[in-house]
Amino acid sequence: MTNIETFFQLLRERSDLLTTALWQHIEMSLISLLIAVFIAVPLGIFLAMYKKGAEPVIGTTAVIQTIPSLALLGFLIPFVGIGTTPAIIALSAYALMPILRNTYTGVKGVDPALAEAARGMGMTYQQQLMKVQLPLAMPTIMAGIRTGMVLIVGTATLAALVGAGGLGDLIMTGLNRSNNYYILMGAIPAALLALLFDAVLRMTEKRSSGSSIRPIFAVVTAAILLVAVPNVYQAFDGRGGGAEEITLAGKLGAEPEIIINMYKLLIEEETNYEVVLEEGLGQTDIVFQALLNEDIDGYFEFTGTAITNLLNEEPVSNDEEEAFIQARDGMFDEYGLVFLEPMAYQNTYALAVTEELQEETGVETISDLTSFEDELTAAFTFEFFDRTSDGYPGIQEVYGLDIADVQTMDPGLRSEALVAGDVDVIDAYSTDSYMIRYNLIALEDDENVFPPFNGAPLLREDVLIDYPELEPILNQLGGMISEEEMMEMNYEVDENDADASAVAENYLVEAGLLPANGE
Amino acid sequence: MIEFNQVSKAFPDGTKAVSGSSFIVDKGEFFVLIGPSGCGKTTTMKMINRLIDASEGTISINGSDIRSKNIHKLRWEIGYVLQQIALFPHMTIAENIAIVPELKGWDKNTVSDRIDELLQMVGLDPATYRDRMPAELSGGQQQRIGVVRALAGDPDILLMDEPFSALDPISRSQLQRDIAKLQQEIQKTIVFVTHDMEEALQLGDRIAVMKEGEIIQIASPSELIANPADEFVASFIGKKTSPWDMTLEAIDASPEAAGPSISRHTTIREAFHIMKEKNVSSLSLDQSDQHVSLEMLTGFVQQFTDHDRGEGVK
Repeated sequence: MTNIETFFQLLRERSDLLTTALWQHIEMSLISLLIAVFIAVPLGIFLAMYKKGAEPVIGTTAVIQTIPSLALLGFLIPFVGIGTTPAIIALSAYALMPILRNTYTGVKGVDPALAEAARGMGMTYQQQLMKVQLPLAMPTIMAGIRTGMVLIVGTATLAALVGAGGLGDLIMTGLNRSNNYYILMGAIPAALLALLFDAVLRMTEKRSSGSSIRPIFAVVTAAILLVAVPNVYQAFDGRGGGAEEITLAGKLGAEPEIIINMYKLLIEEETNYEVVLEEGLGQTDIVFQALLNEDIDGYFEFTGTAITNLLNEEPVSNDEEEAFIQARDGMFDEYGLVFLEPMAYQNTYALAVTEELQEETGVETISDLTSFEDELTAAFTFEFFDRTSDGYPGIQEVYGLDIADVQTMDPGLRSEALVAGDVDVIDAYSTDSYMIRYNLIALEDDENVFPPFNGAPLLREDVLIDYPELEPILNQLGGMISEEEMMEMNYEVDENDADASAVAENYLVEAGLLPANGE
Repeated sequence: MIEFNQVSKAFPDGTKAVSGSSFIVDKGEFFVLIGPSGCGKTTTMKMINRLIDASEGTISINGSDIRSKNIHKLRWEIGYVLQQIALFPHMTIAENIAIVPELKGWDKNTVSDRIDELLQMVGLDPATYRDRMPAELSGGQQQRIGVVRALAGDPDILLMDEPFSALDPISRSQLQRDIAKLQQEIQKTIVFVTHDMEEALQLGDRIAVMKEGEIIQIASPSELIANPADEFVASFIGKKTSPWDMTLEAIDASPEAAGPSISRHTTIREAFHIMKEKNVSSLSLDQSDQHVSLEMLTGFVQQFTDHDRGEGVK
């Protein structure tokens, strides 16, 4: 099958995913654009009329523009939680600068003689604005809105990381699985969407040349309706559902998605609660913040991460049981969070190399690497590069390893870089599917730098007080799932594009935790 | 009737643009404000439609203080023609003309008829020009529309701020002739700002010469030429024009028609030639019971030569 055929097959099979993501993307972009327009256009007009204070205000929006989008999204979570709210705020903020600057320039650039003619003819302030300044400034204002719109549609792909969904979901999945088709399935519609919006705005602009700015109002009204109607409909439709909702989340990747689907299946099997899943919610700090904010009720976390990242402690021991107790007690004392029983497998950090490198050099352990350190190139995730005790700094300290060339890279890209021969060593998660896919070798951590990483549900105490039955239900997974089983399930989802929920159900049925389906 | 009573204007930065001006513009009069740049002539004019508010004194129109009226309604009754023409580039000619009538709430048909009437008045075919955009017109045509737009709401007063200075010489003299003719037909009170003495002498019923915010002299063209109030006025006139190039309007005509009829916009040089050609000693002014004689022409030109000689001696 050619690449293009593969791509179109994926499109056909995943058209449901694409439709949902596309709609979320459109909705999010339109709302953000409308907010940005409603703030920036009147503000721009005001600044142009009064002239004073224009530069500081426009400067402020320019500063907002320089904040990296992901940082801005992360920064908003403690205040407004996760989901579409922070995404819309951040996206609106990004579009402010071009719209504001162009509105200001456009209105200010209207020939003063024309303004004086309008005034001398006895137009009121409002009439001058509507009949003269705005129509004349409209091409410039529209250019600003179009720039803002392209920015929004592009940046909205990052909103997936804070749980806002959209086409970014597909791109993130693609990056995570090193699956270019998924990336394209997100990126191409995003580009087409930007072109479509641009075409609509350009047509509006053409139509509204002359003294009438009615087409602009028509488009704005259409946009508001498009966004508002489904939401209002949903609000009415959603009433009377009545079932109590529990929201569980997982970080980006196949494994958390599979595990929280197991949670959902188990809880819904044994209670009447409805479990809402927030899948692929970015990195540790974003999910954790969402839990503290009560945006979610629980998520799937590892003991090792809890100890070193969230508690900022050194692991007391390399024993799984002791590490769990340290994590459980620490999380409860520090944050009032409850760690339920961990599962059997470990998804620990590992340093991984290709089979070829192992054959060439015979490395088996991390200690063995030190003899070649001057010839090696490594690609690490930002998180690993940064983690003091159980990341690269910890390795450097304990093993005295000093790799000649270290690059930092997105998690989804580093395995490919390794296979492509661009780098020799990467940090890996031991159960990730690419370990199977590329036959990678995890080097033995002979000095025990990496703490145990056992996965378990992490819930807020108040959730367990309200729903005490969750504890026994979720604890059924305690001690279950081996490393091989997990790796295989990850491989199913990542490589064979299986549904996480189906994979989860399969396992639970086989393990006897769920009754087999009626058939 | 526009009355200025001890009107001054000081700008926030302290410069005094106009100080203590008092004068009356009569109904139907063509009143010209002239002076070098920065003399306050434009400020004086803009105080009439309150584009600039006077800092001291009162301005009244037909006896009532302009500040007692709603500012927008006041402006609807005062046509305004700008030096930059300033037709709205995004509106058609018809839309430009319709602005004040629409602001005044006239009904559509009345506005439409008014547009046609005005376009015909300035010699532009309504069918051709109504739906054109300003950029498609020549400069001279644009300013015709500028004048028409100012007249659209049928104001009593027309303010014209150096309306022809941006035009090429041919369009300028054409428009000068047209506005003089128009004034005779419609009898509006016109306040006209210029720095071109020839234009002032040709068009003005009375001319107010300004310098550094003060009005030095208000007089009819012939009086101004005959009796300039001071050296400044004299030099201002002398520099700007030769008596041969002035029109018959500058001369105080005698009553009763005598001799062949001639337009009062004819220059004195042309009038001489006509008299010589036709071998007559007087010419009747078109559409009036007045005439000018050869004697009056020579006397008028003489005044200038005397005046210039006087200048030379000093």
